[in-house]
Amino acid sequence: MTQIETELQLLKKEVINMWDLVRSQLLKAKSSMLNFDKDLAREVVLKERRVNGAELKIDRDCENIFALLTPVAVDLRFVLAVLKINSNLERIGDIAEGIAKYMLDVDAPFKKELLEQTFVTKMFDESINILEDTLHAFESEDTILARSVFKKDEFLDDINIRANELIEEYLNKNPADLNQALYILSVIRKLERVGDQSKNISEEIIFYLEAKVLKHKHSH
Amino acid sequence: MGANVKYRIGKSRAFQGLVIVLAFSCIIPLFAILFFIIKAGITKINWHFLISIPKPVGETGGGIANALLGTCIIIVVAAIIAIPVGIMCGIYLSENKKSKLAYWSRLCVDILQGVPSIVMGIVAYFWLVKPLGGFSALSGSVALAIMMLPIVIRSTEETLKLLPDSLKEAAFALGMPFHRVILKVIVPCGISGILSGVILSVARVAGETAPLLFTAFGNPYLSANVLKPMHSLPLLIFNYATSPYNDWHDLAWGASLILLVFVLLLNISTKLITKRWKVQL
Amino acid sequence: MESTIVKAVDYNAYFGDNHVVKNVNISIPKNHVIAVMGPSGCGKTTFLRGINRMHELIPNATASGKILLNNEDVMQMHPIFVRLKIGMVFQRPNPFPNLSIYDNVIAGYKLNGIKLPKTEKDKIVEESLTKVALWKEVKDSLMKKGTFLSGGQQQRLCIARAVAMQPEVLLFDEPTSALDPISTSTVEELFHELKKNYTLIIVTHNMQQAARVSDRTAFFYMGELVEYDDTKKMFTNPKDNRTQNYITGRFS
Repeated sequence: MTQIETELQLLKKEVINMWDLVRSQLLKAKSSMLNFDKDLAREVVLKERRVNGAELKIDRDCENIFALLTPVAVDLRFVLAVLKINSNLERIGDIAEGIAKYMLDVDAPFKKELLEQTFVTKMFDESINILEDTLHAFESEDTILARSVFKKDEFLDDINIRANELIEEYLNKNPADLNQALYILSVIRKLERVGDQSKNISEEIIFYLEAKVLKHKHSH
Repeated sequence: MGANVKYRIGKSRAFQGLVIVLAFSCIIPLFAILFFIIKAGITKINWHFLISIPKPVGETGGGIANALLGTCIIIVVAAIIAIPVGIMCGIYLSENKKSKLAYWSRLCVDILQGVPSIVMGIVAYFWLVKPLGGFSALSGSVALAIMMLPIVIRSTEETLKLLPDSLKEAAFALGMPFHRVILKVIVPCGISGILSGVILSVARVAGETAPLLFTAFGNPYLSANVLKPMHSLPLLIFNYATSPYNDWHDLAWGASLILLVFVLLLNISTKLITKRWKVQL
Repeated sequence: MESTIVKAVDYNAYFGDNHVVKNVNISIPKNHVIAVMGPSGCGKTTFLRGINRMHELIPNATASGKILLNNEDVMQMHPIFVRLKIGMVFQRPNPFPNLSIYDNVIAGYKLNGIKLPKTEKDKIVEESLTKVALWKEVKDSLMKKGTFLSGGQQQRLCIARAVAMQPEVLLFDEPTSALDPISTSTVEELFHELKKNYTLIIVTHNMQQAARVSDRTAFFYMGELVEYDDTKKMFTNPKDNRTQNYITGRFS
């Protein structure tokens, strides 16, 4: 194996590790929301530092690969894609942290009906699902899987659009839960961003594998 | 325009033709010499001719054994003297391209090459024959060795100069001392050029007569003592060809043929050596 | 902390009156690849040749200062010992044309008159050729002349010849500048393998090569050592402006 191959393999491993880390942050954020688990939420906030560290490390490695190994063609696209995927992942990490911080502020467990009627749990599952799809697409260089993310993201968008309506409906019935409902609305807004970031990641994967630029092109 | 161009093409063709004809004409003398000598000499050569010594005047028959042996001994001794000195000098010249000593020795070698062979003979006569008190084969060998030197030196120098410096550097970088670099790397790599120089020089002096007149002198009997007079082929040819006897003329023709074949073989082997032993760089 | 194997202290080199290497101080750590780069005529090759005292083979060449190999000044050692410990590979592949591949590898022993038993020689040849990734390619033609190999193979043969002497340091003087790109990358791959056992100092004109293969890079300019640092640092954030201009190709 040539040196650049070795280096790119290492880089890929690092990115996958970061992906796993971000995914577990989201999972923990979700768990803390469902179970009113403030310790878990605190853990997420603390671990955000590790996500940031991973981002910096990957940035530096990409820089070194550019400076020392002058990647070209597919290698060049790979490093470019990794740079952007890296910042997208870091933002997803931020989102998980943001949600966890809400959970620290909340003073009572969320009501079951609220979680169900606003589809927030479903949305959480779906956004984690999408993130996992992009990870698998990246790992196995699968552009079909990467493309499927665009479709799945529509579900998240859908809930996001209906969120105001759903929250209003719920508040009409349970006006006392105003504070809780607002938190849930914020969580929904944040989760929608996870979908967007994943979509960007998918675009980068397709760019790297097929050299096609999908940015700003598809409409949903 | 047509005529003009045709005229020019014609001129060009004529010139090309002339070049070919003249080039061809210079091989005519060689073939003429070969033809005459073979025609005159071939009938004289037989086993008896090679192994017996000349008969005294009046008797027919006789051979050139003494001259053959003498030529061989004189040349071998000359080569033993000239080759080590010549190769060492060539190595020095190629190693020290810029030094003062190299400049002067190169100049001397060039001048030495131009010294007429008869002068060599006289020098050897005054330096060796007189002090030693008599003609000897050794003094003839010394005269011939001095004539061989410039050829050996120049061919060694030229060959070694052609070897890339990187070869020497490679050897030095392996921690080899100077004498090993020269003897184990440089000389073996240039061996074809050095050898062909040596053989050419032998071929050159094999037919030399003038220096031997004053030194080896000639000897009608078989002798292997280098401190005594000795016969050699060119001397024999000179003596017999200028004699008034037909029988001796025949011996001279036969000896000429032998000498010619010897020199030709040396020249051909030079070509073969350069081809076969040429190191691929 | 890594141990220093070669150290230059106030090293100066001259050709006649021409001062080509000016007061160089540098420490080279063991088992690393060090690239030495700089424009033509900057003294980098002269410095390299100073390390194993090949510099002084050139008429008029002189040097001052110290080159320490394991804290011992090579200027005080006999050049022959220095060169046994510090091997060298040149710009153009230069296998001995009169020797077979086998004999080329053990040339350092054979031509130095060191007698070894046959089994020992076989072992050295196989080990050295394996180290330079040439064994598989030539094991059936060991008795052929070294010059029958391709340029890249010849260069690897020359590396094997240097490696066979079990040196501590290997010097490379633009080792790939006469090779095609494929052979170049084969030789570059080798450097990563070789640094496990040796310390490599590589002079190169090719900046990308310096970036690809080395752990540390030294930049020479007009006979001075301008900058010497981790290769990553040199190529992402050089301290000296001259280095920056050189590696970005903005030299005028």
